[in-house]
Amino acid sequence: MRRALPLLVRERSAAHRSLQATGIVVLALLAVYASTLNSFRLGQLTVALLYATAIAGLNLATGYTGQLSIGHSAFFGLGAYTTGILVASHNWNPLLTLIPAAVLCFATGLLVGLPSLRIRGINLALVTLALGVAFPELVDRFPSLTGGSIGLNVSVYQLLPPHWTGISIANRFQYYYWLAAGLLAIVLVLCATLTRSRAGLAMKATRDREIAAAAMGVNLAWTKMVVFGLSGAITGAGGSIFAIYLGSLSADASFTLTLSITLITGLVIGGVATTLGPVIGGLAVYFVPYWTENIRQGEASQLIFGVVLIVLMFVMPEGLMGLITRLSRRVLRIQPQPPGRPARRTVNGGPSTVINHQQERNTA
Amino acid sequence: MEFFLDRLFDGISNGAIYAALALALVMVYRATGTINFAQGEMALFTTYLAWGLATKNVPVAVCLLVAAVAGFALGAVSERVLVRPIEKRSLLATLIVLLGLFSVLNASDGLIWGKGNQSMPSLFPNTLQSYVKVFGARLYWANIGVWLLVAAVVAVMFALFNKTRLGLQMRATANNRESAALAGIPVGRILMLGWGISAAIGAIAGVLVTPLTPDSLGLGEMFPLLIYASAAALFGGLDSPGGAVLAGLLLGVAEVMLSAYVPAIGGQLQEAIAFVAIVAVLLLRPQGLFGTREVERV
Amino acid sequence: MTLLDVTDLKAGYGQAEVLHGISLTVGEGEIVVILGANGAGKTTTLRAVAGLIGRRGTVRIGGTALRPGVPAEAVAAGLSLVPQGRGTFTRLTVQENLLVGATKRRDKASVARDIDRWYEVFPALSARTRQTAGTLSGGEQQMLAVARSLMSRPSLLLCDEPSLGLAPLVVRSVFDVLREINAEDGTAMLIVEQNAELALDLASRVYLLETGEVVSSGAAADLRHSDSVRRAYLGY
Repeated sequence: MRRALPLLVRERSAAHRSLQATGIVVLALLAVYASTLNSFRLGQLTVALLYATAIAGLNLATGYTGQLSIGHSAFFGLGAYTTGILVASHNWNPLLTLIPAAVLCFATGLLVGLPSLRIRGINLALVTLALGVAFPELVDRFPSLTGGSIGLNVSVYQLLPPHWTGISIANRFQYYYWLAAGLLAIVLVLCATLTRSRAGLAMKATRDREIAAAAMGVNLAWTKMVVFGLSGAITGAGGSIFAIYLGSLSADASFTLTLSITLITGLVIGGVATTLGPVIGGLAVYFVPYWTENIRQGEASQLIFGVVLIVLMFVMPEGLMGLITRLSRRVLRIQPQPPGRPARRTVNGGPSTVINHQQERNTA
Repeated sequence: MEFFLDRLFDGISNGAIYAALALALVMVYRATGTINFAQGEMALFTTYLAWGLATKNVPVAVCLLVAAVAGFALGAVSERVLVRPIEKRSLLATLIVLLGLFSVLNASDGLIWGKGNQSMPSLFPNTLQSYVKVFGARLYWANIGVWLLVAAVVAVMFALFNKTRLGLQMRATANNRESAALAGIPVGRILMLGWGISAAIGAIAGVLVTPLTPDSLGLGEMFPLLIYASAAALFGGLDSPGGAVLAGLLLGVAEVMLSAYVPAIGGQLQEAIAFVAIVAVLLLRPQGLFGTREVERV
Repeated sequence: MTLLDVTDLKAGYGQAEVLHGISLTVGEGEIVVILGANGAGKTTTLRAVAGLIGRRGTVRIGGTALRPGVPAEAVAAGLSLVPQGRGTFTRLTVQENLLVGATKRRDKASVARDIDRWYEVFPALSARTRQTAGTLSGGEQQMLAVARSLMSRPSLLLCDEPSLGLAPLVVRSVFDVLREINAEDGTAMLIVEQNAELALDLASRVYLLETGEVVSSGAAADLRHSDSVRRAYLGY
């Protein structure tokens, strides 16, 4: 009996492309719909999307390259404070601050990755732990620069949507939302491209079997360092927009070890080493505490995250995205192109019927 | 001179605590190949437990004992239930699970005992007058007590490891789990024992360190201690218990001396310094002062 | 008297089943060798019998059935495995390695006597009692591994590729020692080897494994000249 499912679609064929295009259109429609929500919801969504961006950054280092980082809260905070300080004290155009923020975070990431030249996985995790703990302390230590433990405030008027967007001050949350959504989209495309490239293979090889990777010529030190830099830069960019949205920064409240753990939890929930996992993770770690806020202030969400982290590692280590992928493969499967054979022509030279059913075997 | 000695005494006390925690971390690392990230939180949880009992007028020595036993149980159960099933997956998975435990314990502390800071009563006479004059400086009984107790714990550990059959079994298991099993050693029980003892040491350290500063029992108390202990463990070489202890002492003294004599370094830069210290050590000498270079066979 | 009785042993790693029903026996005081090419399942067989991996089928030592996957039970029943690659406790001293081997024994005095004996049999070790075992040469570690495994006074010694990575001269002395021990103590042995010639010289019986199944067995003298050995190794 002929089985109808799963449908097989050749990678990069016309059918594949149209599926991808449909997906993008759907996402775009969702994004536009979301922008019509009220300001409160928009604000929530904005933060969730920024968390997603931060998690996407973390994913590069931890998910794809296997380097656990407990210090990504510091990158988020560094990006945020860079923007905050440049706008508040030096009157920079908020969007332009993204550049120095990303560069600074990249440099810091390189520095953090530097020890990985010589040390093994665990030790690097400890370095990141120290980073995560040290950041709020450093912020408090230089109050003249950062506002110290009192916090840094940026006036709303410095963070308004630029004139050409035509968004009024009352609707500024739309502007922040689109900033966050835009950044996330760019970051996701960047990460997807990177992880599918040769560099991405190097990353995964480093994660899976370091010695073998080194033996095959993957420059381990470079890989780890650069990945950490990129990872930090992406998370920092998220922090930058966060500062623009929030306007009021306090390291002790927002950029502590707790945030690092939250990001890791989001990464695991969404799915380590997946492209869309960070989006699911960001939404989850923002909204779950919001929904459970009524149970007990604050501590309950930390408890839940801890439990979720443990349970997921046992029961669903591939995360929600992994689960979705696994289930969807029963319905639709993308088949890699056999090497050297263009997808367009069939043996007879006629137009290609590219959606095959299980019966048609690959003829080599 | 008195100033120097005052600082030195404080430094040795802090150092003793770092040494104890570093020893606990090294024990677990040698046995299981992971750093117990949740070590600090296990210690905090048991310290809260001790504090809770102390507020009900249970004598502090008994509270210490209860904390140690509770710590042992917590460590042993964590190994059996959380670590053993997951470690075959990957190191990353184990670290993440331990991070989860970290979160759960810290949050539980807040939920059970509240978020405010508390003061922990001391084992030793702890009034402003309980000191001995040494070259003009004040050496508090509390400090002496900490030194002696930690020294006793460390001595017992060394005797256990190096002079007993059980210690040999533990060292063998840490070195090569499969060969230990082949010799008939009950590997599972030994692993639980190792984690249990580690956590008990951490618990003792927690009950000893908290009374040294008033109002210091709080949700964030253990973060810096964990960093320092990790730095000490790394500095001494992750597989060298002696190195960890020595490094802990040195680190404790260095920290206090630096913040006393170099005014630019305020109390809050300490973690940043530990951070830099860790990175520096690892860059220059990845195996620490006393560790063995690990040659990995492919 | 049958010491080791393995019936219909099935074992594998994860999804892959490597052994498809192995049966073999080792009599008291006998030396039996398992031959086969790489991937035939020789190491898996030993590991399954020693309890390091799970398995189906029965394994009996001296009549008592062993539970799968519990190495301590096998040791208690009088079995000892010298693993592939030696399994040396690299951070312990030579002396401590030997002591670990005896960890289940209560009789301190005779443990000390056994240690002395092994130092006599392996003079290279006696010169290095306090040396960290990880610094020993391959041959010395193999000697140490054999001595360590014998410290528990097993009735059956399992050896996994004792010749692996050793110079020919060293291999010869290892096999000589095994022969000597078997003669003096009557310890039965089940040896997995790639080096067919030396193994056939030592053993009284041989099993030939091919992709997880016993394809032939018999007296060592007979198999020495048979076609099946040649075919299994050289393919013609």
